[in-house]
Amino acid sequence: MPHNVADPAGAAREELAALVRDTVRAILPTVPAASVTGDKHLKELGADSVDRVEIILTLIERLGIAEPMARFAELPDIDALVDFLAGAERR
Amino acid sequence: MTGIEAINVYCGLARLPVPALFAGRGLDPARLDHLMMTERSVGLPCEDPVSNAVNAARPVVDALSPEERDSIELLVTSSESGIDYSKSIASYVHAYLGLGRNCRVMEVKQACYAATGVLQLAAGYLASGVSPGARALVIATDVSMADARAGYAEPATGHGAAALLIGPDARVLELDPGAFGLYSYETLDSARPEPDRDIADVDASLFAYLDCLSRSFADYRSRVADADWHTTFTRLALHTPFAGLVKAGHRKLTRELTGAGPDAVAADFAERVAPSLHYPSRVGNLCSGSVYLALCSLIDHLPPGAPPQRIGLFSYGSGCASEFFSGLVGEGARQALAPARIGERLAARVPIGFDEYTDLLAGNSRCLLPVADRDIDLAPYERFLTADPGRGRLLVHRGTKNYHRTYEWV
Repeated sequence: MPHNVADPAGAAREELAALVRDTVRAILPTVPAASVTGDKHLKELGADSVDRVEIILTLIERLGIAEPMARFAELPDIDALVDFLAGAERR
Repeated sequence: MTGIEAINVYCGLARLPVPALFAGRGLDPARLDHLMMTERSVGLPCEDPVSNAVNAARPVVDALSPEERDSIELLVTSSESGIDYSKSIASYVHAYLGLGRNCRVMEVKQACYAATGVLQLAAGYLASGVSPGARALVIATDVSMADARAGYAEPATGHGAAALLIGPDARVLELDPGAFGLYSYETLDSARPEPDRDIADVDASLFAYLDCLSRSFADYRSRVADADWHTTFTRLALHTPFAGLVKAGHRKLTRELTGAGPDAVAADFAERVAPSLHYPSRVGNLCSGSVYLALCSLIDHLPPGAPPQRIGLFSYGSGCASEFFSGLVGEGARQALAPARIGERLAARVPIGFDEYTDLLAGNSRCLLPVADRDIDLAPYERFLTADPGRGRLLVHRGTKNYHRTYEWV
C-alpha cells in the first residue's frame, strides 16, 4: 500500500521535507541533494547568515507562514525545521 | 521644524582591508559577497568611547557661535561601551567640548537603537516649546571588542561615533512629527556581558532585525495615513550591522509589501538603498551611530541638485528595540554636510595589515576594564596621529589616575 494513503500526516511531512530540500538547493546549488539530511543544521551545509535568511524567507513566503522569523533561530536541525513548519500558524 | 541641524561622524584613524582579515582568520572568502564590506575602521589603545564622542562632536560644536553653544541644554551619549557603572561618558564629553554648565548631561543604553530613542525624545522636548531656542547634542559612541571569537561579525564591526545636533533649524534632516513606528521585545540575540567580551547568536540577531523591520514599519503605517514602502520614501537609510543584511531586509519588505520580482527588487535597492551603504561598507557597524553613518553616506551621495526628499530610517538594537521613522532631507543638506569631508577622512585613515591589527587588539581589549591607574604611551601610535594634516584637533585617551580617565588634545 502506498505510504501516503496509510499515513496522510507522514505524506504531508514528506512534502514539507521535499520543499525544504528544494529550497536549500535553490539557494545553495553546489550542495549535493544527498547531503541535505534531517540531522544537519543549515550552517553545516555551508549556508552563511544571508543564505539562511533567504532559505527561511522563501519557506515563509511559499507556505504563508505567520510566525516571526526569530522562532526559526531556535531550531537545531532540518528535521526540527520541517516539524516547525508542519505545526506553524499560516496566514 | 525640529530635526538634525548638523551631523558628523568620527571613524577612527586606522583601517583594515576586510579581505586581509578574512585571510588572517582563515574565513571563507566566498562569504565576502554577502557581507558587502571592503574595509573596516580599527580603534587604537589611545582611543575610547569618550575620545570618539568628542572627536565626532568637536567640529559640530566648533562651528557654533558662543550663544549657540550655550543653547545646548541637553547632552546625551548613547553607548554599549560603558566606562563605569555610575559615571557617564557624557560627563567627560561635556567637559572636553566646553559646553555650558546649564545643561542636562546623561548617558543611555539600548544597544544599537539608543541614539534614535534619544533623538526622538530630544526632538519632542525641543518641539514642546518649554525652552525656546534650546538645542540638544546626541552622540552615539562605541569601541569594538570583536576578535576571533566573533567569527564573521569581526570583519563587520566598526569603531567610532556619530554626533547629532538637534534643534529648530533642521538643515540636515527635518523629522516628520508623529511619523514613527516601534517594535520591541526581550531577547538575548547579542550582548556585552563583560567589558572585553561580546556574545552573539547570529541567527537570533539577524532574524530579530528582520522581524523588527517588518513590524516597526507596520506600526509606522498604522500611524501615517497612506504611507507606502515603495512610494513614500525617495531613499532609505537602515541600521547597518553589515550591508548584506540591509540588502536582505530591503528585499524582504519589498517582496512582502509590493510583490516585486528579483529584477525590480534589485533596481529599487540600487536606486533607494545603495547610496546609504558606501560609508558603512568602509567602516563597519558603528552601533547606535550606524544608521546615522548610513544617513551621511546617503546625503553625500545625493545627485547634485537633488530636490528635497523624504527618507525612511530604521534603527534596531539587540535586546531588542526598534523604530522606523522618517524625515525630509532638504536641498541644503549636501552643502551642510560637505565641510565634514567624511569621504576624505575615511580615505585618510592609515591602512594596516592583519598582524598589526592583532597587536592593536591586545591593547584595545583593555579599554573598558576598570583600572585605577594606567598610562597610555602615544609613541607607538604617532604615525596614525600625524597621517591626516587636515584633521584638526584630536582628543586622545592617556590613561586613568585613581579611576579618573585622562585625555590630551593632539
